[in-house]
Amino acid sequence: MGYDPNNPMEGRITDLGPKYYGDMLPPVIKNNRGKWLYHEILEPGVLVHVAENGDKVFTVRCGSPRLATVSYVRDVCDIADKHCDGFLRYTTRNNIEFMVDSEDKVEALKETIRSYGNQFPIGGTGACVTNIVHTQGWVHCHTPATDASGPVKAVMDDLFEYFGSMKLPAQVRIALACCLNMCGAVHASDIAILGIHRTPPMIDHERITGVCEIPLAIASCPLGAIKPAKATVNGEDIKTVKVNNERCMFCGNCYTMCPAMPLADPEGDGIAILVGGKVSNAKSAPKFSKLIVPFLPNTTPRWPETVKVIRDIVEAYAKDAKKYERVGEWAERIGWEQFFEKTGIPFTDKSIDDYRLAYDTWRTTTQFKFTSHTAAYTE
Amino acid sequence: MATVEHNGSSYEVDEDGFLLKGDADWDENWVDYVKGVEGISEITDEHQKVIDALQEYYKKNGIAPMVRILSKTTGFPLKRIYELFPSGPGKGACKMAGLPKPTGCV
Repeated sequence: MGYDPNNPMEGRITDLGPKYYGDMLPPVIKNNRGKWLYHEILEPGVLVHVAENGDKVFTVRCGSPRLATVSYVRDVCDIADKHCDGFLRYTTRNNIEFMVDSEDKVEALKETIRSYGNQFPIGGTGACVTNIVHTQGWVHCHTPATDASGPVKAVMDDLFEYFGSMKLPAQVRIALACCLNMCGAVHASDIAILGIHRTPPMIDHERITGVCEIPLAIASCPLGAIKPAKATVNGEDIKTVKVNNERCMFCGNCYTMCPAMPLADPEGDGIAILVGGKVSNAKSAPKFSKLIVPFLPNTTPRWPETVKVIRDIVEAYAKDAKKYERVGEWAERIGWEQFFEKTGIPFTDKSIDDYRLAYDTWRTTTQFKFTSHTAAYTE
Repeated sequence: MATVEHNGSSYEVDEDGFLLKGDADWDENWVDYVKGVEGISEITDEHQKVIDALQEYYKKNGIAPMVRILSKTTGFPLKRIYELFPSGPGKGACKMAGLPKPTGCV
């Protein structure tokens, strides 16, 4: 029975949850679940897992743009039908993995994948730059300060050589969020691209009464910059809010809560770069990423300034870091003053924390290295 | 923005069908209109109790009550609220009560 808008609860099915993952496993995975002995990376993008009974599964990992059409998904299904008995999986970084159960099937699978040109680039394993975890941007969201798909394409085009190779000291995770809601992984990524605003919200007094719960807008401000206020609209006194622009740091939280406080601005908005985060517990504890570039403009459609900064970081890191060292571990070992020196990124006062628990982030030691940055301060 | 006509009255609404001017435009006829679009066959005393609780809280505090507070003041567990308003307390009950559209990451 089709959906009846006059009787919406009729025949309604709900609370089913997702399909049981066990129903969609390739047979070789199903048979050897929990019995894997070891794995190897045969080449960039190709893995083999060996089970206790000698069974092997070969995995070919391909990049994907995350945002995809149904015809793209059908192409993925065609490949899976042709080589993998119709099974495939997506990774937590939105790469696609095709699995086959013997080595002689790998070459044919790769051949088919290559026949799509660069639609399914093989790579993303080991010490590489794998897919960029990203968000909605101008495609769908209403609070972004930058686009998501656009900068991701620009950055991955530039770093493409690192996707299909494994020549970095360790894996480099890049993430993008189009505003500081930070949907995704920017707060804990090796390199993070973050959309930021630089102008305070504009208050639409005419609409605010009907569309805003004013106490929510006031409570949404991390700096207490918003106060209740009165305004006159069409000769009528209404309740509204006032923003102390000196206190506002343009986070946009109030706009999230209140549609009458928009703050997006084409010149003001742009990108900040953060580096040094990680989520794994390998060797060192998980880290948050730290702000190193406060602002880069939204230069559509290729974001050349952002692309260049990220390449500079990746190249300086690749040249200088020790094996297995993540970007954050490298920066902390050499010291952040050296990090700025080696990447050639100018240090600005915007990187100095001034929010509540800021004190712990300042240097309370005489231990530091002389660099061009410290020289500028001691002159 | 769109205008909704119902029984001779007109209401300014947004794309999700929430009143743009809030309680300035709200009346019983609006409840009757939303009843139709939300798939509610009849407004019972229980529906009315939820609407009254939402409006009273909103007038007093300037915000919609949290779901737990709505449950506590009306005595209806969330399950019952969903039975009364199939779209839920936000999209269903708040719309019918003339409260602003819920905001944030919803």
